[in-house]
Amino acid sequence: MASLIGFYSLFFSLGCSILILLFSFKNLKNTTNFDNKLLSLTFLQLVFIILSFFGLIIAFINSDFSNSTVFNHSHTTKPLFYKISGTWGNHEGSLLLWLLVLTLFIFLFLISSKKQPKKYRVLTLLFQQIIIIGFLIFLIQTSNPFAQIYPVPSEGLGLNPILQDPALAIHPPILYLGYVGSSIIFSSVLAASSTNYISKEWAKHIKQWILISWIFLTLGILLGSIWAYYELGWGGFWFWDPVENVSLMPWLALTTLFHCVLVLEKKLLLTSWVVILSIATFTLSMSGTFLVRSGILNSVHTFANDPERGLYILIFLFILIFLSLIVFFFFHKTDGRNKITFFWLSKETSILINNWFMMYFLAVVLIGTTYPIFLDVLSSQKISVGPPFYHKLIVPFLIPFLLAMAIGPKLNWIKSDLQNKFHLLLLLAISLLLSFLIIRILEISFLFNTILFTSAFYLFFITLRDFFIKGFKNLAQNIAHFGFSLLILSILLNNFLSNEVITNLKIGETYRSDELTINFEKIEKIKRQNFEAIIGKFNVKKDDGIVEILKPELRIYNQPNIVTSEADIKTNLLSDKFITMNLVQNQEYFNIRYQIKPFMIWIWFSVIIISFGGFFSLFKKKYEK
Amino acid sequence: MKILNLLVIIILLFNFNVSKAQDKNLNSKITKNLRCLICQGQSVYDSDTEFANSLKLVVENKIAEGMTENEIYELLKTKYGEWILYDPVLNQKTYILWALPLLLFLIGGAIIFKNLKIKKN
Repeated sequence: MASLIGFYSLFFSLGCSILILLFSFKNLKNTTNFDNKLLSLTFLQLVFIILSFFGLIIAFINSDFSNSTVFNHSHTTKPLFYKISGTWGNHEGSLLLWLLVLTLFIFLFLISSKKQPKKYRVLTLLFQQIIIIGFLIFLIQTSNPFAQIYPVPSEGLGLNPILQDPALAIHPPILYLGYVGSSIIFSSVLAASSTNYISKEWAKHIKQWILISWIFLTLGILLGSIWAYYELGWGGFWFWDPVENVSLMPWLALTTLFHCVLVLEKKLLLTSWVVILSIATFTLSMSGTFLVRSGILNSVHTFANDPERGLYILIFLFILIFLSLIVFFFFHKTDGRNKITFFWLSKETSILINNWFMMYFLAVVLIGTTYPIFLDVLSSQKISVGPPFYHKLIVPFLIPFLLAMAIGPKLNWIKSDLQNKFHLLLLLAISLLLSFLIIRILEISFLFNTILFTSAFYLFFITLRDFFIKGFKNLAQNIAHFGFSLLILSILLNNFLSNEVITNLKIGETYRSDELTINFEKIEKIKRQNFEAIIGKFNVKKDDGIVEILKPELRIYNQPNIVTSEADIKTNLLSDKFITMNLVQNQEYFNIRYQIKPFMIWIWFSVIIISFGGFFSLFKKKYEK
Repeated sequence: MKILNLLVIIILLFNFNVSKAQDKNLNSKITKNLRCLICQGQSVYDSDTEFANSLKLVVENKIAEGMTENEIYELLKTKYGEWILYDPVLNQKTYILWALPLLLFLIGGAIIFKNLKIKKN
């Protein structure tokens, strides 16, 4: 029943779309006021999508196996929480979530943009509806979440156990709010371009939407990263996995766009560039969906794939790009001020430098992710592009980037001199000295790392000092930049100070080294709702005599029948202790991996600080100089 | 400026006895750069499959035999193809991969500097 309601709701919301298109065209021609029917219809459409979404959730809660999505991804013994989160833990359901966010955002946009020109609002709605219609047809045609199965199976196939996790339950909705949120920026920029409304007012208004998407995207990426850290059991948090890259690309584009819009808001410069970036951001989100759903990528995240789906998204993507190119080349009017030059020492220039580097990082990630695919298609040669490639091309460029991040915000618009040169130099000297000491203690390769540490410390100290001397002035920016310096420092220290022990132990055995002993005391078996857990008890004793008890698990899930390894992590401010155990095949030994990961919590914390910077900016009354 | 000069001197003094930064564990360094061929996007180092475990042993043995890092990569490349290496080698196939981002960076820089003025007016 719930499935049926959900299914028909999709058609009703498609009907709404068509009506909205009709009324929009009428509204554009005739009246001067925004037709309130459009708002009602948008609301109605949102209600239908919500209905449809809840229909699917209820089908999951009731384990209604006549629905093929539920049959393929759920099981009666699964805990209720994961029955619900299973709704978006699959291709069909997650697309429905896409649609929910698409319709939600356009509704919110309409009710919050009442002061904007009518024509611009109607056109934004129109462009957004084109995206919504595309996704609705995609959903109904190729990935119907409400497909029926007859005869009704008595039991489902179950959800992949590694997806049965709290962080992963909320990761997709948060990420999608960011991903799909960029659709509003796309629709809005096309509308503003075609009505020649790209102006300071528009910049001020769209900045809020950029920030909202950006904050959610940042937090979504963070949650995914935390999940990968403790659930995949490798102790890493970023693998340059294609699917991770695909979420990083829109983030880089959004961050660049945000900085550009600041220039637009203040100086009415870089208009064409803002348009291009806005289009690029959403296009990158869409391409990401295409790459993930088409099964082209080789990744831990790949959903069950189907070439027909990939083809559909690809065609749809080309239509959208084509549409935006038409708008850009035929409707977008450049203001004839292309010959503007910038003084080299000014805020504009520093933002251009930000753009320059961000676009470079984006190019590295984009080329690294897609190049192997093209090479495979063109010459059927397979190569892998992994972490070493990204590190080599990105890390050296971080140095000037960090320095520019420290100095840039200190400059004024148009032209400026650096004041307080003494402090700038003093802090540089302190950073250099501190980095130098750290490098000596760590005994790592000298020159490059010293400079890298110095630039990160420099940004750290400069932003830290600004908290005290500038107070609330520029606070949002300062918080975000401070967070970034903390992030880089934590990653560097984590990378250099991590330590691990890999060994095979029998129950009762003890591993000894100079620094620590690991005693494998016992295992116990516990039966839980949909898995059986083998819990190991380990006593880790360090040379200072303190004993820590760690209890990693092996979980044997009933459906699907998969064994997963759950890490046990003890976190404190300085470091994480991370232990996993795995069965060694046909032996009584367990493979034990014990890792000490310093400053892990600071990596998460600094990303939260970064997003808090954005959050703060969102609620700030006006952007000061 | 005095501070900077002083600093440079201090660094130079310390720099004479820089200890050689040695990679503690060559084995893990190598296995991190190898793709586990039967997994979905995992390195040999991170994986616990039989394939990965046997490859870890192979690497260990080759190190014991005194092969260098690059020799081991070369050996595995001829056996399993370039797909196994996470760090793509620079050759005809990958010139574009390595050069294109850098080229774009240069072009971006050129565009920006064209529009800058150095003098105040």
